[in-house]
Amino acid sequence: MAEYYGVRHLSPSCSLYVHEFLDKADPDIVLIEGPSDLSGLIDGLMDSRVRFPAAILAYTTEAPVRTVMYPLAYFSPELNAMQWAAYHNKPVEFCDLPSGCLLAEEYENDDIPDGESVYSKLEKLTGMDNETFWESRFEHSDNYNDFIAAVEEYGKSIREFSVSDERNELREAYMRRRIAESEKKYGKAAVITGAFHTSGIKNVPYTDADKKLMDDLKIAPSKATLMPYSYYRLSSRSGYGAGSKAPGYFEMLYRNKCRGVSDRTPAEYLSRLAGYQREHGYSSSSAEVIEALRLAETLAVMRGGRLPSLADLRDAAVTCLGHGSFGEISLACASVEIGSRIGELPEGTVCTSVQEDFMHQLKELKLDRFRTAAVQELALDLRENLRVKSEKSAFLDLNRSFFMHRLIQAGVKFGEQIRVSQDNATWSEKWNVSWSPETEIQIVEASLKGDTVEEAARASLDMKLLGSTSISDTANTLYTALLCGLPDCIKTAASTVQKMAVDCASPMEEGKTIGILSATVRFGSIRKLDPEPLTDIISQLFLKFCLQAYSACICDENAAEEMITAITAVYDACLAHDFLDSERLKKVLSELSDSDVVNPLISGFACALLAEKGEISNEKMSELVSRRLSRGTPPAEAAAWFEGLARRNRRSLIIRLTLWEKLCTFIDGLDDEEFKPVLIALRRTFAEFTPAEKNDIAENIGEVLGISAEQAAEIITAEVTAEEQQTIDELDDFDFGDI
Amino acid sequence: MAQEILRLSAEQLYKNEIDALIANETAPIPKGWQMSPKSVLTYILGGKVGDTVITPKYMGDKRVVEICIATLVTDRALLLIGEPGTAKSWLSEHLTAAINGNSSQVIQGTAGTTEEQIRYSWNYAMLLAKGPSFESLVKSPIYNAMETGTIARFEEISRCASEVQDALISILSEKRISIPELSEEVAAKKGFSIIATANTRDKGVNEMSSALKRRFNIVILPPPSDMDTEINIVKTRVAQLSKDMELNAEMPTDSDFEKVVTVFRELRDGQTLDGQLKVKPTSGVLSSAEAISLMVNSMALAGSFGSGKVTDSELAAALQGAVVKDDSKDKAAWEEYLENIMRKKGKDYASLYAECKERNA
Repeated sequence: MAEYYGVRHLSPSCSLYVHEFLDKADPDIVLIEGPSDLSGLIDGLMDSRVRFPAAILAYTTEAPVRTVMYPLAYFSPELNAMQWAAYHNKPVEFCDLPSGCLLAEEYENDDIPDGESVYSKLEKLTGMDNETFWESRFEHSDNYNDFIAAVEEYGKSIREFSVSDERNELREAYMRRRIAESEKKYGKAAVITGAFHTSGIKNVPYTDADKKLMDDLKIAPSKATLMPYSYYRLSSRSGYGAGSKAPGYFEMLYRNKCRGVSDRTPAEYLSRLAGYQREHGYSSSSAEVIEALRLAETLAVMRGGRLPSLADLRDAAVTCLGHGSFGEISLACASVEIGSRIGELPEGTVCTSVQEDFMHQLKELKLDRFRTAAVQELALDLRENLRVKSEKSAFLDLNRSFFMHRLIQAGVKFGEQIRVSQDNATWSEKWNVSWSPETEIQIVEASLKGDTVEEAARASLDMKLLGSTSISDTANTLYTALLCGLPDCIKTAASTVQKMAVDCASPMEEGKTIGILSATVRFGSIRKLDPEPLTDIISQLFLKFCLQAYSACICDENAAEEMITAITAVYDACLAHDFLDSERLKKVLSELSDSDVVNPLISGFACALLAEKGEISNEKMSELVSRRLSRGTPPAEAAAWFEGLARRNRRSLIIRLTLWEKLCTFIDGLDDEEFKPVLIALRRTFAEFTPAEKNDIAENIGEVLGISAEQAAEIITAEVTAEEQQTIDELDDFDFGDI
Repeated sequence: MAQEILRLSAEQLYKNEIDALIANETAPIPKGWQMSPKSVLTYILGGKVGDTVITPKYMGDKRVVEICIATLVTDRALLLIGEPGTAKSWLSEHLTAAINGNSSQVIQGTAGTTEEQIRYSWNYAMLLAKGPSFESLVKSPIYNAMETGTIARFEEISRCASEVQDALISILSEKRISIPELSEEVAAKKGFSIIATANTRDKGVNEMSSALKRRFNIVILPPPSDMDTEINIVKTRVAQLSKDMELNAEMPTDSDFEKVVTVFRELRDGQTLDGQLKVKPTSGVLSSAEAISLMVNSMALAGSFGSGKVTDSELAAALQGAVVKDDSKDKAAWEEYLENIMRKKGKDYASLYAECKERNA
């Protein structure tokens, strides 16, 4: 006849006594609550190289991914039962519904029925919160028989308080069936399940009604794997059996219990808090720890416990170590109660193909050492390393870069790229790399996209290409494909860009795309890109842009800003690539610069670009300035033009004294109403100048007005008179509506 | 029973409860105490002993009270910190009433408190007549508490100058007072302790030295955590006070309490109860204690000058007084609150809004 042991998941006492229970029961098989189809994973967990916490993860193979997780820590009774079985060479199996069934959509949102109300009822009954009640009643018990009896009672009462629903009926029917089958096969079974289920399966025979329930099991296609887990994740999961609020503390309890010194836990907890405080620069004396311990013990006695529970300890710590406020010790509490332990699994235990590929690549690319929680910097030099023999090592860093970019595309947050300074941007990359259990989960999730990291990355890029609606988005995807080192993906993207380019009617989009493609080509050589197909596209787009630019520049201010960005991109591309017809661009710019029809901001900007290239003579320049800043031009337009002009190459503007003379005359000629809008534009313009540049300009103006530098300084730094203040205040009333 | 005394002490007011608790005591009693820690807890939080119903004195987190009592069991001194009106003195009075049956050993901390008031001073007539002797000694409440093994209270400790506060250090660590004039030393009996209270609004006025702080277990009393608790507190206290003061007015209705507490909570927290809107807080202290006195105030107004029934008119007058302390700024903030928040609260608040608006104009 089977024997039953009800547990609370992640309970140190349950873990400790499960050995005694199994010794006494001496079963032929151990059955544990868990998906029965995953019994094969138990062997992997028993590997001596496994470091807990670890979890069994089952996931649906079709999107949307649903997962179920069975986290195990050193203080999990289930794990201890497995260890007992392994040690005594007894078979051990899971006995709950198969994972596919647990994952089937119909059963979403499953938790213990009325989970919350059960506990709130219990809380009302005991006057303690559930965690504290459990700890003081069970974790501090030091007698096996008492403990077993108490847990049974506990299981019965939570069952009484809650309604067993259809889903639970099904699970328990399945468990009964598994127990019956196993007993037939092996003999006596020992059954380790949640205390809640014990009374549902203990001494309840497996009947035909149960069999009927089994007939319409819905099963979702799924896969399962082991994965490393972390205490942090354990603490952030709530709900029965799924997590533990204070895994670090419970591990402490478990360790001390195993050594038979459970009464040492309170002192250890408080000392560790104090230790953390001291390490982080707060004073925390031994006297405070002693007082806290005394207070905790008194609190425990008042609340009817034998030893202080975590709640007592926390209260005492807040009072004595935190001087009344939890905020002072909250970080210490998090560190001690939760802890930073992260699990580890030996290679090969994890079994999705993407995981394997990932591990393989890590080894291949010598990135093994980055598999730690600490953030490490990875600096890459993408150039060929000429000092090594094999091609593989010559391009090691390049391949690493491809790998990191592919991971990002596959949705795996293993590395994060940091920006590097301009001078070596073409061949250098920097990454912050860190490993977390989340990474592992993301890798497992990536297996939905493909069977290798490369495939997963390609799949998600293909998805992006299909989804992108604008040409510049597509070009961005192309650039990403370049970073990922996926030539075939680049090809697909390029042809998409080409097709879109034909229909494109917006010079702004074209300019943006040219910018992106130009960057792709410039950064491409180092990534072994064949630029040929791209240069054709760029030329094509360049031509389109030049033809459409003029008419597109007759536009309002918002569009003008966009146009300026586009013109800049094209201008830069033109400088970078010989195959682009720079004469054509120059013609377009001259047209823009001369025209009184296009937006004055763009006119000014075009003029600045020409001046920068030395394509505009001094005479021409002063002619333009006088015309633009003359009385005939509306003042707002004149100011906008000047703003455009000042966008580029300020130095060359500053040294042109005539320009400032013209500007002074222009401002002098304005009446008050005209001055205000101009002032705004001018302020905006000069806001971008550096203080040194502003000084130079002030000097220039001083020279124009015939004032020496000292005199100018005196005027500028003089105190504002009441009259001037009033004028300035009046500006506050200015209506920005039209600007 | 009409009595002459304006305010009875806790141990007088709740004598029958304390007696019942002592009579029904089963748990072990710490030295110097008159009842067990568990009974003290029952006294403070309410419950039932035998046939006697114990009224709750402090409504709030049970754990806070447990920590306070446990602190006193361990012979540590207790420092209660909180915003004004969070029942610090109230709790300390009732703790001493329950533990010693005597809540009268109090030092009121002020800027003028001297070290003599903490330790001992001299009766100068006797000193001249008899010279330094125990007879000419004027004992402080703390001295008395040490001699009798009971608990002394130190109200508003942070209002005293720091050097005066520090007189407590040796008392708390060595548990004795030396009297160099007599070459004598008085050692405290078991059961001696101190409950001090300090106001968070006084923070930085006279910062407590860390040496002194270290000798206290510090408990921060939070403002009532939720609306219902706070309404309950205000209601209970108003009922008690109106009975004691024999105010000729009916108890305000539940909706009156709700309105006042809502206004207080929203202004105190700087946001509406549902957390949707930000509210500009005012400078005044809007604690539960203030709400209690506001309600009593409006009852007095209604009883003496009105219909004997608290109406929105009385509430508005009292609210105006409570909220608008620093005239110009608070007035604007109150106006803002009235227009942006209260006006939109619907018809329940319509008449209160109108009254408040009129008064604030």
